[in-house]
Amino acid sequence: MAFVPAFRQWAWSVLPWVPVGIYFTEHGYSLGTVNGRSMQARKQPSTLSSWMNKKPTLNPDSNQLKKDVVLFNHWAIDRCNYNIGDVVTLRHPDQPEKIVIKRIIALEGDVVQTRSPYPEAHVRVPRGHCWIEGDEMFHSRDSNHYGPVPLGLVKSKVEYVLYPLNRFGKIPDKPRGNRVRYAPGHKVYNRLDHE
Amino acid sequence: MSKYLKSAALVLQVACGVQLFNNHVAEFTWCFGPSMLPTLNMTGDIVGFEHLTQRFSKLGTGDLVVAVSPTDPSKLVCKRIIGVPGDKVVIDPVSPHRQYITVPPGHYWLMGDNLSNSTDSRAYGPVSGGLVLGRVFARLWPSPKWINNGLEEIVEFS
Repeated sequence: MAFVPAFRQWAWSVLPWVPVGIYFTEHGYSLGTVNGRSMQARKQPSTLSSWMNKKPTLNPDSNQLKKDVVLFNHWAIDRCNYNIGDVVTLRHPDQPEKIVIKRIIALEGDVVQTRSPYPEAHVRVPRGHCWIEGDEMFHSRDSNHYGPVPLGLVKSKVEYVLYPLNRFGKIPDKPRGNRVRYAPGHKVYNRLDHE
Repeated sequence: MSKYLKSAALVLQVACGVQLFNNHVAEFTWCFGPSMLPTLNMTGDIVGFEHLTQRFSKLGTGDLVVAVSPTDPSKLVCKRIIGVPGDKVVIDPVSPHRQYITVPPGHYWLMGDNLSNSTDSRAYGPVSGGLVLGRVFARLWPSPKWINNGLEEIVEFS
């Protein structure tokens, strides 16, 4: 049993770094897989030059056997850095333990033309909220079902696809389309000016 | 040089450990404004809140909670839970016309204790459970004391 003291020494040198690692995955960057097909995205009626947009955003296969591995950026969201077009993870407003991945379509003040299940034709996104939608409109439960979502529910930004190596790279942009009338300037949230 | 590096590593490890405790067990925050007046001061209190009740049990009516403001993701609010999912609550007990709302699943109805000066669920509607950070358990400063759920059952005799 000569290796026991050696192991103990090794454990004592590694253990203090565990909180550092956890902190990094919670506030810096972390990896995760994506379930479901709400971000599958069909061809967009977009400009010819943007061939990127014809690629699916995430999980191109419908059989659910292969799941994309993506990189989450928690740092940007901790700094309250929200942008239209970002793909983000957020807590489901009705089921706080469930995390969903959607794209931010509109922010506070923008007027959105809604899609089918939403009761009103147009909605102005209220203060501190955002309008989120999946890229695949037929397989997504999003703001068209549950309305604008508070930005506080947004947990992280999805920045890179890592695993299927043929699609390695930044998450493709999606053209903004003409369903949103954007407000002139968006509020910049700042954690430093606490009320 | 190695000595400095070692102490820097130690500082990093301790800071991350403290942060981890803050994020998952308990932390304290500065909380002021008139909305919680009889319970908390207007000029500012330091309150301690814990994340454990939410994770291992359920928040109930009457609990004081700290939540991310639905109207500004960079601000926190401190309110009392008036309704849990499925409850039927009065939207505004101050107004003469009583309207009722059923709290949707996964949401809470939050209100300040000072109804005449509080921006709460009356203004922004039910608050998603994902925004609730934790339950306030104590006031740390000034005059430290435990804060308990103040809900009292009303017994009706028919």
